[in-house]
Amino acid sequence: MSILLELFSAPGCRQCARALESLEAILADWPDTDIVWRQVNILEELDYTVACGVLATPAIAIDGKLVFTALPSAQKLRQTLQQHLRASQD
Amino acid sequence: MRHSSTAGKGYRIGEVEKMTGLSADTLRYYEKIKLLVNVSRSAAGIRMYDDRDISRLRFIQRSKAMNFSLQEIARLLEMRDDPQHVRNEIRELTWQKLAQIETHIQTMQSLRNELTLLVNLCRSSEEGCPIIRQLNEE
Repeated sequence: MSILLELFSAPGCRQCARALESLEAILADWPDTDIVWRQVNILEELDYTVACGVLATPAIAIDGKLVFTALPSAQKLRQTLQQHLRASQD
Repeated sequence: MRHSSTAGKGYRIGEVEKMTGLSADTLRYYEKIKLLVNVSRSAAGIRMYDDRDISRLRFIQRSKAMNFSLQEIARLLEMRDDPQHVRNEIRELTWQKLAQIETHIQTMQSLRNELTLLVNLCRSSEEGCPIIRQLNEE
């Protein structure tokens, strides 16, 4: 069973661009069947963004729940993804 | 017999205007329609409001801020005066108003979060405010 990862970002947000690069590098190590991901432009999906509890960008949600409210380290992000994948397979 | 927590000291209508922001006409009107009851009079017949009146007026102001009607506020004041012996109809109204307030709080929280997000977005951007830029492009 796969997990859904969402990166909340906005145009002009430099940290968001860094988060996207970091995320793409990490996700390259995982098969597509494990992690489905998408970038959420908060200006286009403002209602959904607010409903998820995002107050600043970048932010990362997994399966609709906000898990990072700032750019995490690559190691921390990997750990969190592994934990969620394990939980989804239990 | 009415007991006053101000121990004999009362507030003239002008003082109450300053304390609450309500006009003298409004204060007299609230008394006329019995939102305020038994407002004391000095020996010279001047209205003297006490702390209980002020508390009641603040309750009315809060209720009006929620767009409750004066008729509804009158019932809520009955509940406030004697919550244990009030009619079921008034108890039910109080529950309804409580539910309205809860919904209102959720709406306000959502709006606060949305505005916080937008303000943070403008603050963190090094290329100006993307919200304003996007609005200009539309």
